[in-house]
Order: sequence, then structure tokens, then C-alpha cells
Amino acid sequence: MSSKWENIQKRSFLESEARTRALGLVDPGTFTELAGPRHRISSPHLPLLGEAVEFDDGIVTGVGLIGKKPVFVASQEGRFIGGAVGEVHGAKLANIVRMARKAYDEMLASNPDLPEEKRPAVIISFDTGGVRLHEANAGLLAHAEVMDQFQDCKGKVPIIALIGSRVGCFGGMGFVAAASDVIIMSQFGRLGLTGPEVIEEEMGKDEFDASDRALVYRTTGGRHKYIMGDCNVLVADSIAAFRGALQEVLGKLYAEIAEMSCIGSLEKIQYQLKLVDLCVETAPKDAKDVWKSAGNENPDDLTDMPLDEFLTTVKRLTDRY
Amino acid sequence: MEDLIGQGRAAIDMIIDPDSFREGEVGELSITDEDFGASAVIGTAELDGEICTIIASDAMTANPKFPVVYAGIIGLEEGYKMAQAVYHSIKADKDKPLAEKRSIVLIVDTPGNGAGKHEEIFGMNKSTGAYQMALADARKVGHPIVAIVVGRAISGGFLCHGLQADHVLSLGPKFNTMIHVMPITSISRITKLDIEWLQELAENNPVFAAGPDYFYKLGGVEELIDSIELIRERVVAHVAEVRTKKLAGRDDELGPWGRGALSVERGSRVARSKVIQTMDDEFAAVAERYLS
Repeated sequence: MSSKWENIQKRSFLESEARTRALGLVDPGTFTELAGPRHRISSPHLPLLGEAVEFDDGIVTGVGLIGKKPVFVASQEGRFIGGAVGEVHGAKLANIVRMARKAYDEMLASNPDLPEEKRPAVIISFDTGGVRLHEANAGLLAHAEVMDQFQDCKGKVPIIALIGSRVGCFGGMGFVAAASDVIIMSQFGRLGLTGPEVIEEEMGKDEFDASDRALVYRTTGGRHKYIMGDCNVLVADSIAAFRGALQEVLGKLYAEIAEMSCIGSLEKIQYQLKLVDLCVETAPKDAKDVWKSAGNENPDDLTDMPLDEFLTTVKRLTDRY
Repeated sequence: MEDLIGQGRAAIDMIIDPDSFREGEVGELSITDEDFGASAVIGTAELDGEICTIIASDAMTANPKFPVVYAGIIGLEEGYKMAQAVYHSIKADKDKPLAEKRSIVLIVDTPGNGAGKHEEIFGMNKSTGAYQMALADARKVGHPIVAIVVGRAISGGFLCHGLQADHVLSLGPKFNTMIHVMPITSISRITKLDIEWLQELAENNPVFAAGPDYFYKLGGVEELIDSIELIRERVVAHVAEVRTKKLAGRDDELGPWGRGALSVERGSRVARSKVIQTMDDEFAAVAERYLS
């Protein structure tokens, strides 16, 4: 086991770059990057606008092992144009998912009794605001391709979303995360569709003040999403913690993993509609009102208590509804 | 009529067989509450004598329960309502052969998803995410899905209601149809790039410019229609073409992946193909190490 890999484990997930996350999530020495920087496939569109490029277009894609399981990994880099999805970035993401499904089809065709521990999985470490405006049309079309590939994985390949990086997971990528089977977050992770500034623009500063950091976290942050049931596992901010949760989830049978998803069937959306009814009935002024509906008598205490205490104390909406 | 913006209901009548629309009903689904997802219209109709599911937005009806849902915006209830219509289509035809799976027609005129506090607290991404998954599911079990853009197909709205179809059609730009993520004015503001320069560049680069013709060049739209009178005929023709491909097992030519291939034919999104090929080749060389 290389000492470098060991060092990576202790690092903050929030502060880690995309490649570090990808390397650290899989078993030591097993990661092979695909279409990595040495191929220099960068955006052909950014230079036309006078913008700098990166040779990985802000996403690391590759394959590694967790135990005997081949895992197809995508890891987004928020430091490059906010992790936004352009043509190359989007094609890498869509294709890594497609490769996992193709590998599954080939493996199962040659050995229908292949044990679950050897069957492929997809891991996506999100750090993105969605479509890259400089190549917006291609980025939007790529989003649709990713969703399409996700659906092909249903019944075959589990998809695990990891959210705990600076940019969070917003815009069209919020759909992609929601369509994953399992979402693992840290309390610093944020997940949503519309960014805070746009909500403020739409509703007015009195209703939603985008500069209020605590409010933004209460609405989209890991703790909130855990209470809502949108985040399945809430972990500490280290690569080791994310990897540990990942190993635990991937140790389950596929059927159990698929059951953890929020959406993807009529039954699941009927349940989500019950929560929408709750929203209409209670008209919450703040996410904390929903935490109270979930059975948390003192919702104010939940924001600042240490993670361990939070996890043992908190009542989730899914416990009650 | 010069254009169909805001005319989702009128567009339904132009496309389906006369007086055949049963609103709120799809298979076992029967929605009687008029306020539920009021900005989305779902139902069953006949299209050229065959049963089909219709999904549209109603720009004239706001959702009284969600203040950000108006003008055809898809809100929390609307997204799930649209998804219900799709899942009930699948359920109703579960035991039918491929040739008899009902078509699903998406009439697209939406400015986007609900952008509000309640929407984020409860997870707007799940609602229209669910709708996208439902459409992809229906497409893959054999329902022909055709989307027709009659007005606005903006960003996340188009992603949810349109881009998961087998084929996407659009009225041409002379009907004021809008397909884009953001207008150039907003792109200029956010990227801090000069607007006049951007407009000049846009003329030759379909990748960020706003308009259905640019999406056509990128393979994001299969066909542009240049007459309102032709919409019905073209939708019927595309449903038939999609069904023929499904029966022949040519699913890879349909949906988002099929439109990726279409971009190559139209000489755009060249980098996309290069990326995919590079990854596939590179993995083939090391696959043995990973796959048992």
C-alpha cells in the first residue's frame, strides 16, 4: 500500500481536487484514468471565446477496484469553470456510465452466475453547477445523454453519487444526482437545482437572502438533505469517510441498493408526492420548519451539533412519513 | 396564427384526432383535482386512430399552491404529474407487444423548472428528474416518444420535457420558438464576455447560440417544421418512424444517444465522438485487469 494513498485518505474531501478524490476512493494502486490529460482532449469551444482550457476538461474519468468490484469513476473539478459541463466533460461522464453498463452486459453474457461482488458499479463525485454557458447547447445535450445512460443501468449497475465538494451539485446535474441509486454527502455538500442567487431573483431578498450562508446550507446542505431522505448516508469530511460509506453500500446486494433511490418508479414518486402535500399543508417558512415536521422538537440545535451527535439525535422525514 | 407561444392547449387540438382528448386520464390514472399540477396538462387521445398519451404545459394556468409556477413553468407537482402520466402509460401497455405500445407526445412550451424556496427545500431536482427517468424508461420498453417544440424550450425545462424523447421536432425560428440555456445577454453578463463579440461568434458556432436552428445543427433536434399546418402530419410520421426503428431493434439511433450520432452527420459535436472512442480504446487495453 503506497504511503501516498494512505495520506490521501486523511484529507478533507471538501478541499481535495478531482483526481485526488478519484485515486483515494478506489483501492490503492488500482486507478487507471481514461481519456486523461495526456490525450489533451480539451474543449474546442473555449479558445474561441478566449478562455483557457484544461486537458481533462474539468473531469477525471477512469476505472478502479473496490475489493473485487470494478468501479467506473467520474470525478468533477469545481476549480475549473465551476465544474461546469461542456461537450468533452459531458461526453466523458456519459461514456463512463455507458462503459460500466457495457462491461456488465459482457460479463453477464459470458457468466450469468457472476457473483455480485465482481459486478461493475458507477461512482460519481460531483462538483458542478451544471451546464457550461460557453458551450451551453452541447452541455445541455450531454446532460440528456447522461440521464439516458443512467436509465440503461437500471436493473444492472448501481450508481452512487458523492457530494461534498466546494461547488456542490446544482443545475442539470441536480437531476443526475437525484437519479442515482444512493447519495452519500458530507455536511458541506450541497444539492439542488436552482442556485441561491436565482431563487433570490425570483422571490425577492425578503423571502430568500442568497448572501445568508446558513440559510443556503439549511436549504440545500447535507444535513438538510439527510433529514429529507434525499441523502442516504451522511459522512464526515474525509476521503476515508466517503470511501468507507461507499464500501458499505457496494457490499449490499444490487436489489437493496436500488431500493435506496428516491425516484425511478411509480411507487417512489407516489411517496414523493406525499411529501409535496406536506409542503402545501405546512407551508414552511424555512427548512427548519420541515425538520420540526419530521419530529425534531428543537431544530435550531441540529445545525451546530457535532456530526456524531447529529446522526444519533436527528429524526428524518422518512421515519415519519 | 403567427406562433404558438403560450398555446399549449391549442397545440394539443391541432395534433390529435378531433375531440379525442380525455384530460387527466392515462390508463388507471384519473386526476380529478383541477388544482393538482395545474400548469401541466396530461391525458389520453387518439393520434391518427391510435391511442397516445399527451403531455403539455399550460402557460395560461398558474399553480395556486406554488407562487413560482406560472407561464408554463414545471413545478414540484407538475413534474410528478407528468411522470405519473408516463408510468401509467407503461403500466397500461405492460403486456402489449412492441408494435402496440402507445406513443407519448410531448408538446413543449416551457420556460423551465420552478425556482423557489419550497422547491429547493423539498427537492425540485427529484420531481423533474423523476419525469426524465420515467420518459427514458418508457422509451426503452418500447413506447415511441416524440417531442414537438411549439414555443419555449428553455434549459432545464427542455431537458425534462423534450430531450428524453426518441425524436425531437421544433417549429422553425420564424414561429418565435426559443431553444436555449440562456439568452446571449445573460451569457455575456455571467461570463463577462462582450455581447457584440458573442453575437458575432454565435453566427458561426451553434454551440452556445440561442435558437432551434442551432440545436438542429448540433443534432439536438431531428427536424425543423416550417408550417404550423404541418405539425400533426410530421408528428404522426415521426411516431411511425420511431416505431419502425424500435421494431427493428435500432434503439441506438433514437433518444439522446441517437442525437449524439446525428451531430456527427451534421458536422458538429466532433469532440464528443473523439472522447468516447479514446475512452473505449484505452479501456479495452486494460479491461482484463478489471473484469473477471
